[in-house]
Amino acid sequence: MEPHLSWYLALSALLFTIGVVGVIVKRNVIAMFMCIELMLNAVNLTFVAFASFFQDVTGQLFVFIVMTVAAAEAAVGLGIIIAIFRNRESLDVDDASILKL
Amino acid sequence: MLVLLFILFGGLAIGCAINVVAQRNPLYCAISLIGVFMSLACLYLMLAAPFIAAVQIIVYAGAIMVLVVFVIMLLNVEQEEKRRIRTGFLVPVAVVLAGLLIGEVAFVLWSVDPNPTLQSSDIGLTSSIGAALFTSYLLPFEITSILLLMAIVGAMTLARRTDVLSPEARVIPGAQVLALSDIDPRASHDVQTPIITDSSAEAAALLGLAGKRDQSKRD
Repeated sequence: MEPHLSWYLALSALLFTIGVVGVIVKRNVIAMFMCIELMLNAVNLTFVAFASFFQDVTGQLFVFIVMTVAAAEAAVGLGIIIAIFRNRESLDVDDASILKL
Repeated sequence: MLVLLFILFGGLAIGCAINVVAQRNPLYCAISLIGVFMSLACLYLMLAAPFIAAVQIIVYAGAIMVLVVFVIMLLNVEQEEKRRIRTGFLVPVAVVLAGLLIGEVAFVLWSVDPNPTLQSSDIGLTSSIGAALFTSYLLPFEITSILLLMAIVGAMTLARRTDVLSPEARVIPGAQVLALSDIDPRASHDVQTPIITDSSAEAAALLGLAGKRDQSKRD
């Protein structure tokens, strides 16, 4: 017996749900950021599973592009986090709810 | 055998993911997230995608998480303190929606049939990915490179200090070349004369402009 495609899809859905829960529950900006990375990885697992089971390389190419977008997001997001921390001395999202300092 | 490996790595991924959400210290979150990335890389290997597995470890666990851990340690983040849940009235709604999601997953698990089977092929190899990436998917590849360039510029713009150089700035590493108009705005006609100093105050003193600048401030 081998793992079916649906097993991978179920695992991916669970990981994505855990990531969504983290984004909603967490208050630290960096922790929310890491939960977003978790959601991206769950989607990547779906892409790779479909690509392997349907013998199509397109899914793996999209994983590649998603990884690049995640790297760009990490660079810009962490730059924003550093700017917020420099201005407000806090990483709590509730402290950064207004644009005015 | 493959089922055992799937249960092992899938369970590891879910456990580490739950730990990411449950931990209060962001550093422990980051280390758990590295565990998720590692187990997902093992799952990619099981799915006959060795290139994606290697890139997952190099880019995600290597580059992105190093950046995240670096920022966590740079900012000296304290532990997240416990607070009252803001939206307590939404908890029953969340439980109902989670039950719906579990039902959907169970539906997928039991009713989608027949499942395609995994057969050995070369679609996960580096050569086939590279061939497709540089022929039929060249445009997304180039757009991605432009996106990376924008991310570099944007991150540098966001993270650098944006203080304007003041005449009282004392420590400026290296010599700088200033046009006369940079030091005295009224001398804008003379942009050809460069001044080489270590600070703008020194340049102003060299030109005898320090007093004039103070006068212009008073005006």
